[in-house]
Amino acid sequence: MSEVELSCLAYVKMYLHASLFPRSSVNGLLLSSSLEEGSVCVTDCVPLLHSHLPLAMISQLALTQVDVWCSQTQQRIVGYYQANACLSNSSPTPVAFKMAEKIVEHYSNAVLLMIEGRKMSSGYRVPPIVVYEHKDSRWTLKDKHKIMLRQWEETRSIADQLLKSNDHTILVDFDSHLDDITKDWTNQKLNAKIMELASPANGNM
Amino acid sequence: MASISELYDVTWEEMRDKLRKWREENYRNSEQIVDVGEELISEHASKLGDDIWIIYEQVMIAALDCSRDDLAWSCLQELKRQFPDSHRVKRLVGMRLEALERYEDANKLYDSVLQDDPTNTAARKRKISILRAQGRNTDAIRELNEYLEQFVGDQEAWHELSELYINEHDYAKAAFCLEELMMTNPHNHLYCEQYAEVKYTQGGMENMELARKYFAQALKLNNRNMRALFGLYMSASHIAANTKVSAKVKKDNVKYAAWAASQINRAYQLAGRGKKENKCSMKAVEEMLESMHITMS
Repeated sequence: MSEVELSCLAYVKMYLHASLFPRSSVNGLLLSSSLEEGSVCVTDCVPLLHSHLPLAMISQLALTQVDVWCSQTQQRIVGYYQANACLSNSSPTPVAFKMAEKIVEHYSNAVLLMIEGRKMSSGYRVPPIVVYEHKDSRWTLKDKHKIMLRQWEETRSIADQLLKSNDHTILVDFDSHLDDITKDWTNQKLNAKIMELASPANGNM
Repeated sequence: MASISELYDVTWEEMRDKLRKWREENYRNSEQIVDVGEELISEHASKLGDDIWIIYEQVMIAALDCSRDDLAWSCLQELKRQFPDSHRVKRLVGMRLEALERYEDANKLYDSVLQDDPTNTAARKRKISILRAQGRNTDAIRELNEYLEQFVGDQEAWHELSELYINEHDYAKAAFCLEELMMTNPHNHLYCEQYAEVKYTQGGMENMELARKYFAQALKLNNRNMRALFGLYMSASHIAANTKVSAKVKKDNVKYAAWAASQINRAYQLAGRGKKENKCSMKAVEEMLESMHITMS
């Protein structure tokens, strides 16, 4: 089966989103700017909600707007991520499947990624994520060896650094955008910080 | 590390007042409470008078939230010494056990409190929280329903129950809880908007019409509620796009959607004034409104 690659930017934002709302379930969309066939290359993500994931209106609205933004910026939606509020349960909920189904309709290689809250403590060795792929109209667990996080150690340390400096608080998801529309869910400010830390000049990569 | 008072140039009185404000407004900004509270306790405890006890309680709960068991433990010791037989302190002991995931011990403790005082609502609510933490949503729903039979006026509990039903996709029952809340708080735009979202999710023409009405009502109560504004736009567009509705209904809903779209545009223009930051999300909204407009006409 095809491989899925996660960029530092996408991983760090997902991780910070889950860290910013530790008591809630959170979800978001995975994007790609590379249109290579075969493997899925997740280059960015858009954090969506941290409340009432099952309610349809805001999800529909967010999907439409992210889709519009993607076509404006030559990206496409290639997957969905979610972290459950309940630590002991990191399996996909009906909402997760439903959202992922929607994405698969437009991109057959789409992935469904779950963040494992239990493994999010500092000092974790492996990425606290599991990935599902759509095979024969079912979602099946993807082989861990097919999930690539280049420079995992660096990515992890960037996430930790940003958490320590409280920079996760500048992350904006679609929910917080609706509370204050001057905040931007494309997270340009946070992206710049992550990219700066990830640049070779800082020795992180 | 620099202390809070040096870092922000604040006096101990200001720190005390900050904590009080957070308490009264029921904020759950635990990291900040720990930062300010820990310093206040260690440097200024003697000046706080009787305020110190409620501050210990506040800081203790925040410390549990931040997994600072050391701090939680020391606050708890002070409270235990001062109030050896208090149910309120026992509840804190239980909450610490919960934070350590010792749910069975916590449950036993709450049961002993309830044996002494069957009307102790705090202990009963903690027991329900344990069920939630364990992911036992159906049990939590059952317990909460039993609780509400006795304490029908507890709005926090109705809200919690509506959330549980939403998570279980039981929208009809979630709507019932929210109706209960709207009846007691007819001017609360948040309940109103949430009710509309639940109706929208339920789907079907009748529910969609209701959703549109309640989005509109929420807007009337607070015209800055963006969720309600988008909700009005989305529900009216849905109804207008339905092929089974009469020409009049279609015409009316096109009108509502167009009005909402113009309001959304205006809100984004106001918000974007002199700011570069939200350029991207603004552009996305504009194009979305344009494209949906075309499909409707």
